[in-house]
Amino acid sequence: MNVWELAAEVMIFALVPLTWMAIRGDVRQRLVAFFMAGVVITLLMMLLTMAFNRMPMMDLALALALMSFGGGIVFAQFLARYLE
Amino acid sequence: MKTIAIDVLLALGVLITLLSVLGMWRMRDPYQRMHFISPPASLSPACFTAAIFLQNGLKPEAFKALVTLFVLVGMNTAVTHAAARALRIAETKDWNPPPDEEVPIHSEDELVMPEQKQ
Repeated sequence: MNVWELAAEVMIFALVPLTWMAIRGDVRQRLVAFFMAGVVITLLMMLLTMAFNRMPMMDLALALALMSFGGGIVFAQFLARYLE
Repeated sequence: MKTIAIDVLLALGVLITLLSVLGMWRMRDPYQRMHFISPPASLSPACFTAAIFLQNGLKPEAFKALVTLFVLVGMNTAVTHAAARALRIAETKDWNPPPDEEVPIHSEDELVMPEQKQ
């Protein structure tokens, strides 16, 4: 196990409170937890790319960061228009 | 020396992320929780990108990590503002404050009432 893999395994535990918030919170807390999960998983992708030494996987982190941006904007607009 | 620097940068990035998630978990309302997205979206990827540059040098994957860092920093500001605006609209039906709502402003700020909006 290299240090990148160790960092990735520790980082996975950051998803536990986010999952809890997404399950137990109201819709506003779920939205914020969704944003945070997007950032954490993007970081996780960066770490796993280095851990497994599969450098093309860095594209996944970049793609996820871009898609989280679009998804976040769409969810925020949906919340503002249709949810209370 | 380089290995120690990489270890420190990785530990710092992971620690910032874990503390931010725990801080977000302990806050009361979504507006407070949104503040905790910033450190993992700016400081942590900066640490990881620096560690990748140290490990691999000027390779394409390091520059992809740099682009990812810029995307995360830019995304965080836009998405946090969009989310706060959406939550405000979902709660009060309007982005602008109603006439009876007290909006805290500094004494030197110009007072703009919602009715005066163009």
